[in-house]
Amino acid sequence: MIPSSFDYHAPATLAEAVALLGKYPEDAKVLSGGQSLLPLLKLRLGQAGHLIDIGKIPGLEYIKEEGGMLRIGGRTRESALERSEIVQKRYPILVDTAKVIADPIVRNLATVGGNLAHGDPGNDHPATMLALGAQVVAMGKSGERVIPIDKFFLGLFRTALQPDEILTEIRIPAPVEGSGGAYVKLERKVGDYATAASAAYVVIGTQGFVERAGIGLTNLGPTPIKATAAEKYLIGKKPETAALAEAARIAAQATEPSADRRGAVEYKREMARVLTGRALKKAVERAGGK
Amino acid sequence: MTTRNVGQPFVRRDGRAKVTGEARYSYEVAVPDAVYGVLVTSGIAKGRIVEIDTSAAEREAGVLAVISHKNALRLPGEPHLEGPDRVVQALQDDRIRYSNQPIAVAVADTFERAVHAAMLVRVNAEVAAHTVRVEDELHNAFPHKIMAGGKLQEPDESHGDVAAGLVAGAARVEEAYETPFETHNPLEPHATVASWSGDRLTVYDASQWVFAVKKKLAKGFGIPPENVRVVTKFVGGAFGCKGSAWSHVVIAALAAKQVARPVKLALSRHQMFGPVGGRPRTRQKVAVAAQRDGKLTAIRHETVSPTSRFDVFVEASALQARHLYASPNIESRHRIVRLDIGTPTFMRAPGESSGSFALESAMDELAHRLEMDPLALRLASYAEKDPADGKPFSSKSLRACYQEGARRFGWEKRPRTPRSQTRSGQFVGMGMATAMYPANFAPAQALARMLPDGSAQVESGTIDLGTGAYTVFAQIAADELGLPFEKVRFDLGDSDMPEAPIAAGSMTAASVGSAVLVASRALRDRLIRTAIVDSASPLHGLAPIEIRAEDGRLVATSGKSDSYVELIRRAGGKPIEERGKTAPGDEREKFSMHGFGAHFAEVLVDPDLGTVHVSRMVGVFATGRILNARTARSQFLGGMVWGIGMALHEHSVFDEKLGRIMTRDLSDYHVAVNADVGSIEPLFLEEEDAHVDPAGVKGAGELGLCGAAAAIANAVFNATGKRIRELPITPDKLL
Repeated sequence: MIPSSFDYHAPATLAEAVALLGKYPEDAKVLSGGQSLLPLLKLRLGQAGHLIDIGKIPGLEYIKEEGGMLRIGGRTRESALERSEIVQKRYPILVDTAKVIADPIVRNLATVGGNLAHGDPGNDHPATMLALGAQVVAMGKSGERVIPIDKFFLGLFRTALQPDEILTEIRIPAPVEGSGGAYVKLERKVGDYATAASAAYVVIGTQGFVERAGIGLTNLGPTPIKATAAEKYLIGKKPETAALAEAARIAAQATEPSADRRGAVEYKREMARVLTGRALKKAVERAGGK
Repeated sequence: MTTRNVGQPFVRRDGRAKVTGEARYSYEVAVPDAVYGVLVTSGIAKGRIVEIDTSAAEREAGVLAVISHKNALRLPGEPHLEGPDRVVQALQDDRIRYSNQPIAVAVADTFERAVHAAMLVRVNAEVAAHTVRVEDELHNAFPHKIMAGGKLQEPDESHGDVAAGLVAGAARVEEAYETPFETHNPLEPHATVASWSGDRLTVYDASQWVFAVKKKLAKGFGIPPENVRVVTKFVGGAFGCKGSAWSHVVIAALAAKQVARPVKLALSRHQMFGPVGGRPRTRQKVAVAAQRDGKLTAIRHETVSPTSRFDVFVEASALQARHLYASPNIESRHRIVRLDIGTPTFMRAPGESSGSFALESAMDELAHRLEMDPLALRLASYAEKDPADGKPFSSKSLRACYQEGARRFGWEKRPRTPRSQTRSGQFVGMGMATAMYPANFAPAQALARMLPDGSAQVESGTIDLGTGAYTVFAQIAADELGLPFEKVRFDLGDSDMPEAPIAAGSMTAASVGSAVLVASRALRDRLIRTAIVDSASPLHGLAPIEIRAEDGRLVATSGKSDSYVELIRRAGGKPIEERGKTAPGDEREKFSMHGFGAHFAEVLVDPDLGTVHVSRMVGVFATGRILNARTARSQFLGGMVWGIGMALHEHSVFDEKLGRIMTRDLSDYHVAVNADVGSIEPLFLEEEDAHVDPAGVKGAGELGLCGAAAAIANAVFNATGKRIRELPITPDKLL
């Protein structure tokens, strides 16, 4: 199939892009890597009158640590994230996540910002960012604002971004002593969207108790899910088998999956439990907690 | 002749052209003034078109025509042939017989405009109640003769007393097995380019058999067959679905005639699900029993598969039970039911692949019940002659395949009981199964021509499905003509060339290979005769038997020689050619002919997620002569990978309410890709088979898939203790 007709804009600056978005508030979509948007248009599951291609705007692709944060440019390719030395060394959870997104050909084009801004609960980065307590930076006509990730996903394909805003940066707190994270995904076959997936992040204090916990879940409800109750449960606990299992059980209760070709509701919920247990275990291992 | 080329692992000659994009597939052939046709297909499974509104589409710029049953040219003839041809729907009436049936074609000056126009067509249909569930029609199941291996076979066969044999065994298994609807999904979709010049028609088609396309179109359009030329130079995978000329082929020719322009028509991926066949679902029952020592006392294999309302295809799942294991009592039975679906068709190892899943799973279950090694059970009932009729096998090295496979794989390390071995938290399981596929051979013709420059040109109207036909037939001819491989060009894929059979049934190497061999031999003999009667030749007056072909020359035992270049120059400088023709004789009356093999698979099963990873497969095959070690290996490799897809992924899921396949693209119709595949080791044991065909070849395209899914399912049982009798083995079935 081919998309319905649209106008294509390739602004040279962010300001220009924002202005274009403001000009067509109902009818424009930002084109970043295009790996979600173009199939959508091509299959006519969606349409847009104007595509604003941000591919020509300089300075949107970077990965750097600055001010206690990992800063990822909105248009950074998944393949760049996957290969980044600093990410491989200090943020293995991001490598876990990036390397299970679709296939290498898609990852050469797909962008981290796009993966979040699309608002698809089946995408992989949202759960990880929820677990890590990330922030996203949005640029609009009235300037830049920072949105905490847990306020970002509002509904199915719906985010806190205003129609004239562009996601320009993702900020992730730098790892502290005793921290570790992991992302574990179940897919029907390599390259598929998750049947279920879980991201876990823990900070273990010097006394061996969990000081911070983050759990995010993929494709288990209309939005990416932050398993708050399970996170709370873990605080102050020793990260031992029984506690992790209980946290996983609580996390699974937070899911609202729908039945589809990937499985029944009960099945997905059970998988959420198993995967969260595994993600937590791996996160604890990486945190040096065993 | 010395064989210097046959067997060598030459790289595929078309490989470079394919990876660089230089190879023009049928749709890509540049035809001047071509316009584009895009099909409109039905959204319902059964009914009648009451109204079809094409006005909006016709108003669009660039649209030449929208053709439906209302305005389509009436075909003067019924475009249907005997044999494996399929009944088509070429816009001749208002009936809707299955979902995704072509009901109109939009023709425009660009592909995009044609797509757009097709989307603007509005159809008002009267919906009739449909049935797409085999279960709902079981009461109407009926037997039908089976077209397999180029001949009609009986649906039922029985010898001995199976009921008594089943009771006589020390252990018995009686179980039901299922394989799902599957869809071929070659990378290259079906595509046809049709171009008329008066009443002459040229067609570039994604086809496995140009001669059938030619005859079908000639019949449908009421023109002499010699007026139709069909060309297929490259095929991007076919696996059986391009073995028949389906509706779109006739529609492309019809549209081209109606708009008086050449028309290019390709199916979208979505349109590949329904109108161009697929492997039908099978519901099978297998009963096997054996004595304590593993000797089988009875085999019963029954299967039901669906066909369409208007045509017949039988998935011959129970045929192999007739020939595979020694047993005094064997019964096999095929039934079909009619559903409101597009006609299913041959899909890689039709019958053998689906049937071997059931039979070889049952054998594994029997071994488990007897507390016997599954391999030992198979050896205990090793058939020394064909159990169906007592004929000797023309060659059979299955025992060696078992032994070599077990050794390479490390079968002795197989866990004795399920859930007893783990690796990084996953259960390890090992399974095996037997592979068997008939050695088919059909009449074929070829032409061999020696050119004045001393190089040869050989041709036959066969197809290279990606199998290596361009390469291996040049190897055969090179050896017969005593030429280096580089000096022989082999061409194919044109109905103006000598006639070849359908490129299917693993018989192209045997059939066309034999024709090429015979043609090349005839050419060599003619060149020898030319030399010995030529007074200027150093070979003048010698006896033909003294002369051999070597390095582009004819060489006598005395050492005297004459080159092809000189020979042709003296004979007038014109190319010299000979034709060759082969056909099966009565050798199949005397011998049973099959390729055999043994699969060994290791799986890792996640106990909590139910995911299965095939970590290792070893397949050892014996299938006569190997023409090219590299292309043959690729065939086995492809078959084994297909086995992984069949075992774990492939499933055309029907929405029973709407009567259509829901998994209509490659993100929902899963096939195994590189990242899904672990280590795969295909090996072959060469056989000398003097009976099977002149080339000594038994075929490699399908054997590698036979039994592969069963070996994996058996490994899953060995890992988990769970017997999955319904493919594909998805994680939910293991939890």
